[in-house]
Formats: sequence, structure tokens, C-alpha cells
Amino acid sequence: MRTALAMEWEKLRPVHKTSRTIALAIALAVTVSALVALAVASSASHMSAYDRLTFDSVGISLEGVNAAVLAVAAFGILSITREYATGMMAVTFLAQPARLRVLAAKLLTHAGVAGLAGAGACVAAFAVGQTLLSTGGLATGWSAPQLPAALGGGVVYLILVCVWGIALGALVRTSASAIITSAFLLVVAPILVQILPASIVQQASRWLPSQIGVQAMSAHHDPHAFAPWTGLAVLAGYAAITLIAGGFRMVRREP
Amino acid sequence: MIEVRGLTKRYGGRTVVDDLSFEVKPGVVTGFLGPNGSGKTTTARMILGLTRSDSGVATINGRRYHDLSRPLCELGALIDSGGVNPSRTAVEHLRWLAAANDIARSRADEVLGIVGLDSAAGRKVGGFSLGMRQRLGIAAALIGDPPVLILDEPINGLDPEGIRWIRGFMQGLAADGRTVLVASHLMSEMALTASALIVIGAGRLIAAESVTDFVERAVSSVRVRSPQLDELEAALAVEGVSLWRDGDALEVVGLSIEQIGSMASRTGATLFELSPQRASLEDAFMQLTCDTAEFATRRQAS
Repeated sequence: MRTALAMEWEKLRPVHKTSRTIALAIALAVTVSALVALAVASSASHMSAYDRLTFDSVGISLEGVNAAVLAVAAFGILSITREYATGMMAVTFLAQPARLRVLAAKLLTHAGVAGLAGAGACVAAFAVGQTLLSTGGLATGWSAPQLPAALGGGVVYLILVCVWGIALGALVRTSASAIITSAFLLVVAPILVQILPASIVQQASRWLPSQIGVQAMSAHHDPHAFAPWTGLAVLAGYAAITLIAGGFRMVRREP
Repeated sequence: MIEVRGLTKRYGGRTVVDDLSFEVKPGVVTGFLGPNGSGKTTTARMILGLTRSDSGVATINGRRYHDLSRPLCELGALIDSGGVNPSRTAVEHLRWLAAANDIARSRADEVLGIVGLDSAAGRKVGGFSLGMRQRLGIAAALIGDPPVLILDEPINGLDPEGIRWIRGFMQGLAADGRTVLVASHLMSEMALTASALIVIGAGRLIAAESVTDFVERAVSSVRVRSPQLDELEAALAVEGVSLWRDGDALEVVGLSIEQIGSMASRTGATLFELSPQRASLEDAFMQLTCDTAEFATRRQAS
């Protein structure tokens, strides 16, 4: 396992795409958080006292992290599909014939990088969001009691999305179909759910990864959605099921 | 030493490799010959554990590929010129391979020197020519300094200078006492490089012997020229002998030079030429594989 980890780390290290993906994730998170915070802060004067009381300053500041999620999913997906596309997977299996060990090493190294990038994105988004919200008197600051859980939730959310991306890559194998699948589930599905009858929208949407992410990073809990850690457990379940299928396909089918 | 015992692979209902058994011994370059689609690559992939066999077993110095703890140090393989992420540099590609088998990082630069790519070490592989990629693939096969090498079509994409280099290079590896198996569909190339042969057709073993023995087995003819060719032809046309005209000469199969000479003397024919026509490796190959070649065009009787 040590050599498999060394192999994956050595693959990850020099590829500029890695750092570019991470930079993109952080930039997306910060930009979207800044835009949302700016919009909210500019209308702060119209907010009622009740609105101010229930205002989710933490959640709004971290809103941008949801935009980073696709970049993180792509980071996980491409770690596998690019190897299949270039024929490198066969060379990898020549060096490390135990395929599940290769998959495990990929998961650990990439989840580690995704975790660091996620932490960077969450902290940066929160910092920028709070600065802009303070212009409307809506900032809660670094001492907010819900902050550690929200930041932790955001990081875990991004790590799980990365793991799920790797699993999807192993299952689908081609970059295009895997990325389209992830974009559908992360971005398109939340929109499509809205056309369902109102009675079941809330029932259905709580199962969506994006909804789970929003809940994990908010200070106020939506009663219709899963509780933050319950939601993350559901997302971990999705990742685990995809991972079992992807691992099975990786072992059974030829590279 | 590579040992293959009863290796069989079926895709759907089609048997691609059929109960194949052979041994590849160290110290010589062994050519692995067969027409396209004869199962060479599938066999190589089964030896390397990339393709699962339906039955049979392949071992490298007595162990299966999956059981090797540092496979790159036991067997080096060139499976195709791909297998490299184009956005990586040559040395980066070799470094992750080295890391995967606990090989010293400096070995990456060393093997680049061996294949003559040291000046391109820091360049992205995406900009490499096919020949450079092939050299990089060979460098990758050498990363663990393995005693056994399997090279699938190593000549592909190489320029004449590169081809000369790889010939000498493979012979040098064998002279070091390594086991070198070279899969190729180029008979002429194997005639220059290999001294042992494994020949397959439609997934079955056709021959496993030295190049000389293999060529011997092919039918050789004798070329006869004479002003009394008609009389000679009539005298030679006996049971078990085949004859055909080739311009002003007669090609004879089934009689030795001595037999034809005596026959000419008895009929009083003057001989201008009596020469053995040696089959080339290519001829031998064509003769022995033409009935098994999957896509061989069958002659229509009209």
C-alpha cells in the first residue's frame, strides 16, 4: 500500500492540472460567495427585524462552496478517466497489479488534496463573504458558534464529492460521460426537481447532493431536509455504492 | 524465463488464444511471430496479468505476474507506445513508475540516458514523435532493470536509425543473459534480430524452435535451367514431385540437387543452372501460417 500511495502521490505532484483544479475550486467558491454576500448586503436595509434575527450569515458566506463542487467532482473523475483515455491505466496496473489497492491509493491521495482545497475554499469564501456582509451589518464573525460545524461540513462535503467522482470515473471510464453524469446530478437535478408537484419537491430534494451540501454548511436547519451529518451520511452512502460498482468494474473489466 | 502452459482466451464464442504452451529462455532474443489478429498481444497481456485467461497459466521465473512484489524489477514490458499522460514530462512519467516499485528516483534519468532521450527529459510527452514515445516506453520497461522483457512491436514508429539501435539494443539485453520476447508481425525484422522463434496463427502454436530450424522446415525448391528443358521436365515429372516454369527456368520441389543432376546426366540434358532456392524466414512464415491466417484470402477455383 505504501508504494501504491507513493505512486499516486508522484503522479499527482507535478501535474499542473491538479493545482489548476484546486485554484479553480477556491476561485469559484470565493467569487460566488462574494456575489451572494454583496447582493444580500445591498438589500440589508429592507430586512425586517425578524429577518435579521433568523439570517444565516454563515450559510450565505459559504454559499459559494456549492459552486466549487463541480470542479472537485471533475478532479476526482479525471484522476481515473484520463488514465483510461491515455492507456496509462495499463501501465499503472503493470506497476501495481492489485487493482483495488490502486483505487484505494487514488482515493486517499485525492481525498487528501480535495480536503485541503475544500478547507481553503471554505475559509476563503467565509472570509470574503463576512467582509462584504459586514457592509450591511450582517456579519457574524469568526466566533460564530455554528462556524466550526459549517466549515467542517463543507470540507467533508467536498471530500465526499471527490470520492464519489473517483468512483464514478472507475465505473464510467470516459471523461465526457462521467462529467456529464456528475453535472446532471449536482446541477441539473436540483432544477428538474422544481417541476415536481409541490408536495413532493421537499421530500425529493433532500436526497440531492446539492441540498445535502447546503444543509451541511448552514447554521439554520431546514426541517424538511436531512440534518447536516445525516445528509453527509446519505452522500457517503451514494459514494460507497458507486465505489463498489466502480471497483468491481475496475477489477473485472480489462483496461 | 517465461513459461506459458495451456493458455486459452475466448471473447464471446471466439477463441483468440487456444491452449497455447511455450517457453522463452534467457540469453537469446525470441521472436513472437504471427499475423495480425493471431493472438500475440492477447497472449502478452495474459502473461502480464492485464487480461484474465479462461484457462492455463503463465509464469515469470516460476511466479505469476500478480504474485510479483515489485513487478517492474522482475519483468519490463512495452505494450504499446501509449500509456503516457501527454501533459507529463518524460522524466515525470518515469518517476511515478519508479515510486510505484520502490526504485531510486535517479533511475529515471539513468534509463532516459540508456534510450537516448536525456535531452528530452523535461519535455512534455504530448510533443513527442512516435519514435520518441517508443523510446520512452522502452525506458519505462527498463526502469526496474528487469531480467525478463516483453516488447510488443518495438519497431513501430522508429526511423531507420532507431530500428538499427533497437536491434543492437535487444541483442545486447539478451547477451546480458536476460530473457527477451519480442512480438512482431514483421518477419524480415525478426530474421535480423531473433535467434529463437515462437510462431502462432489463429491463437495456436505453429512452431517454437530456432530461426534456422524454422526456415529449414519450409519447402525449398531447386531451380533448373537447360536448353533441353522439355525433355528434362518430362523425366522429372514423377510421383511426389512438383514442377513449375518460371520464365526459362524450371522450379522443382521434392528432389535434391543430386537427384536432379543424375537425372539430367541420364537424359543427356545440358545444365546451365542447378541452384537450391532457400526459403527466407518470410517464405517459411507465409507457408506455415497461410492456412491459419484468419483473414487469408482463399483462392477461388474457377
